[in-house]
Amino acid sequence: MIKAVEKPVSHSEKDKTVRITIDGRSIDAPKGMNLLEVARSNGIDIPSLCYHPGLEAFGACRLCVVEITKPGWENWRKLVTSCLYPVEEDLIVYTRSPEVMENRRVVLDLQLARVPNSDVIRQLAAEYGIHDTTYTKRKDADNCILCGICVRVCEAVGANAISTLSRGPDKYVEVPDPEACIGCLACAESCPTDAIGWHEENGIRHIWHRDFELVECETCGKPILTQQQIDHFVEKSGLEERYFAKCDSCRKKETAVSISRVMF
Amino acid sequence: MTKRLIVTPYRCTDCKNCEVACSFVHTSDPRKPSLTRIRAYTLKNAVKTVVTCLQCDEAACVTVCPVEALVRNPITGAIERNERCITCKMCTYACPFGNIHFDNSNSEIVKCDVCEGDPACAKVCPTRALVWADKPQPDLAPDEEIDIAPMPWAMKMPSR
Repeated sequence: MIKAVEKPVSHSEKDKTVRITIDGRSIDAPKGMNLLEVARSNGIDIPSLCYHPGLEAFGACRLCVVEITKPGWENWRKLVTSCLYPVEEDLIVYTRSPEVMENRRVVLDLQLARVPNSDVIRQLAAEYGIHDTTYTKRKDADNCILCGICVRVCEAVGANAISTLSRGPDKYVEVPDPEACIGCLACAESCPTDAIGWHEENGIRHIWHRDFELVECETCGKPILTQQQIDHFVEKSGLEERYFAKCDSCRKKETAVSISRVMF
Repeated sequence: MTKRLIVTPYRCTDCKNCEVACSFVHTSDPRKPSLTRIRAYTLKNAVKTVVTCLQCDEAACVTVCPVEALVRNPITGAIERNERCITCKMCTYACPFGNIHFDNSNSEIVKCDVCEGDPACAKVCPTRALVWADKPQPDLAPDEEIDIAPMPWAMKMPSR
């Protein structure tokens, strides 16, 4: 293997990187980066359900647990959620130790009881040797695993429409005020278990107990987005409303027309 | 960033090789030309041209992205979508040129990433209407002859 030429490291740069050991492999990582991201960028697989690189880490699913220790800890180890743990100098990480695997199995066993119909969870559980849950299956179960990705996605979009309601075993994801939803589908597209149902028919988009009338493309008549989305984007980006009157394909064709006008 | 995708519309024959190459490289499925990032057009005035992402210096897609999922690759100069994307599709509506799309079948945003500095579309263009080059070729005027040799396999085409 060809080794990369080591660049001379300045002092300020040296302070920014830390050397850690993951499963016996020595890895240099930027200080403060979370353990999950460091492991994944080095090809070490840690399963997770609630982690999304674009969103703030949440630590909800507990699937990304790893065991950590340090040279001064006298073999004492502890379990941490890798998505929330910033890397530190000399950290020693075990991603597949018996304790870690046992913890993940319990989490998946519980998830399987919660969402017995989800293919994603069933597949993941099978990878850990769990084919049927040892707990009582939830009755009338949907596919929601309460990972909170939809809640955080909605926050990132700026609509803040989705939140978790109630506590404990009764906790569920809901849109408390349907008026706040802009019908952008970002939550449904990001859901790891496809738990958020939606459908589109005759220019009407149905999501979160609400029907949205879709605005049609000025040129081709294809339904593109909801009026609420336009209002939201206009407010956020400062662009004019007519900006959203055409679909991307029609705009692309217009670009071709303007190229031809410039050239000929 | 030294090279760019340079389009010379008067050389384009709307053969759609670039579209097929693009969808094949990015999806490994040549049967889905709808997933192409580049489009060839024959316009009403019989002009033929290709349109792909312009990699704008001040890009609207980058400005509207709420999670910094669109980042310029300093080596190729292309704006690339990374895994931070939450598929809010804001960029597809914001692009004034319609060059960023949402792929319904895979639920992801697709845009031209110049194939990490080796664009497949430029490689298959038989008339060199698409070139991956340092700067605009000097022979852009329509009345001048094309002095760049066509692709080797294109030379086998029977002449009129």
